[in-house]
Formats: sequence, C-alpha cells, structure tokens
Amino acid sequence: MREDNHERAVQLIDKMQVEGLAVEEREWLQAHLESCARCQKRALETERVLRALRSIVPRFDLTLVLATQMRARVQAREIVENAARMRALWISCGLSWVLGVVSAPLLWRAFALLGHRLAISRAVWMTGFALSWVAPAAVVAAVIAWRHARGGNVGEEQ
Amino acid sequence: MDRMGLANCWLMKTVEQEAGSLARGLRQRDPALIDYLIQQYQYRLFRYLLMLTGKREEAEDLFQETWMRVLEKGHQYKPRWKFETWLFTIARHLAIDFRRRRQPQSLDALLQPLGTNQTLELEDSASSSAFEQAFQGEEAASVAAALAHLTPSYREVLTLRFHEGMELEEIARVVDSPLSTVKSRLYRGLATLREWLQDINA
Repeated sequence: MREDNHERAVQLIDKMQVEGLAVEEREWLQAHLESCARCQKRALETERVLRALRSIVPRFDLTLVLATQMRARVQAREIVENAARMRALWISCGLSWVLGVVSAPLLWRAFALLGHRLAISRAVWMTGFALSWVAPAAVVAAVIAWRHARGGNVGEEQ
Repeated sequence: MDRMGLANCWLMKTVEQEAGSLARGLRQRDPALIDYLIQQYQYRLFRYLLMLTGKREEAEDLFQETWMRVLEKGHQYKPRWKFETWLFTIARHLAIDFRRRRQPQSLDALLQPLGTNQTLELEDSASSSAFEQAFQGEEAASVAAALAHLTPSYREVLTLRFHEGMELEEIARVVDSPLSTVKSRLYRGLATLREWLQDINA
C-alpha cells in the first residue's frame, strides 16, 4: 500500500473528529481502515483518547452552587432596586429641567425686580439668577456621581 | 407544507420563544431563571473554567464571578445568541482579567502550560475518598496529567469541541480567534494529547 494513502488516512482520522468528513472521504477512510491494521490502530487510539477526555468529570462542590445562587439572588434584587431608583431620579431630572425652562422668564423678572428694589448691581443679581438656575442640575449631578462612586465601592468590597 | 416541514417550523418557533423568554428573564433579573441557569450549567461552566485555569480554587472564584457578570450584563443578551456561547465568552474574559489582575508581571501566564510536576486539579484532594477515586479511574488521572502539558488555549478548544460539542464557528466566537486558528489548535491539541497519553500508558 502506498505511503501517502496512510498519510491521508491519518489526516482523515483527525479530521473526522475535529471537522467531520464528507461522504466520499468517509467512504474512502472506511475502505482503507478495513484493509490497513496500522491506520485502524491509529483510529482506535484516537477514539480511546477522546473517550478518556470525555470521561473526566471534575469533582464539583454543590455548596458552591448554593452560595452562587444565594449571591445571585441578592445581587439581582440590588440591581432591580437600583434600576428603579435611577429611573425615579431620571424622571425627576427631566421634570426639573422642564420646570426650569418654563419658569426661567419669570425667575429672570423676579431677580431683576429684586435687584432693582435692593439696588444691587446688575452683575450680582444676574449671577444669582444663573446659580439658582444651575443649582438643581448640579445637585442631581452630584447625587448621581456620589451614587456611582458608592456603587463602585460596593462592587469592590464584594 | 409537509409534516417534516411543520415539525421543523414548530421546533424553530419553540426555540425562538425559549430564547426570547430567556432574554426577557435576564433583562428582568428573574431570580428563578438565574437559579435554574446556575443549576443547569454548573458542571459545564465549572469544567470549562477548570480546563482554562487548571486550578480548582481559581475556577471556583471565577464560577461565582461569571454568574454575577451574567446578572450585570443580562440586558445585553440577544435571543439570537446561544446562551452557552455567551456564557463561556463571559467566563473567558473574566479568567483573562482575573489572571491579569493577580499576576500583572506575566500576562501570558494563562497561555502557558502548567509546570512539569503539576497536574490539572480535577478533583479536590482533601475530599477524595477511595470510592470517589474509583469513580474517577486511572484513565482520568492520565488524561489530567496529559492535559497539564497543554497550554490553556489548546485545553479550552478541546473542551469546547469534545465536551460541549460546539460547532467550530461557535468556538471561534468564544475564543475570539479565526476559524483557522481554532482548527489548528484542535488538531495540535488532539495530537499532543494522544502522544502524552501514549507516553504515560507506555
């Protein structure tokens, strides 16, 4: 028998396990294995190796599953609660922005009137107006940043 | 449509519905679903992590962290993805990050084989009774010793192909490598495993 037939058979034996064979390849290999003891031995050896590989079952501690399930339940509850809190925060953020836009002209007039009555310079009451307009957004941004930092720390502690 | 076609159609619809409800449950962080998934994939995930890291303790830590990450990223899961492919991808990324954090001096540690005197910690030596050892068998010990000589990148494709029965394309997605790389790792891994087992058994 030609040596390149054995080489082809050896390649096909591995290919059968890794990629699978086309019908012609399978038929050719079967015919070759029936007439070649050396390649047949190789095929059996490969099957034995894979059987051995599949037979290994790592010992598994079931308390690990229970601990993981417990931790997952706690984490799931935290994620859901945090999501609800964040949703409420974003809704209030949106509302405060709308109210801020709607009330801006009124607030501007109120600051102008107050500045006029108290004889405060234009730059001062305008700064006061700008601060009062920016304050809610700044508070919300600070709360979000604080919550974010706190969330990160909680994650690290775990 | 013939009967076979109808059956296939029904099967496809069922699979799609299941994937859809899985995605919905993950998005809602349904505790019952998470419990079920942990139960369902416990051995497979642990075996994959053990093959990847070669260390029982590390695999146990990563097992927990993988499920926590599944919870965090649950909203990103798409019904068109196979859950196990997604799960193993998460586990793999965590294993790499974990090793990078622990041993920043050797980023390639995960790609190196275990030392010559080390073996894959397939069982907890403290709890192995004679009965358990009988169940594991001599052959399993030989395989564990042979696997220790392979790099994790070879071990992981071997386990994904021959334990998980994954398609080559799915394996390529999990290990984030081209199909040709996956194939060459499988061929070389199989050849090396065969040689080592022959040597051990000789």
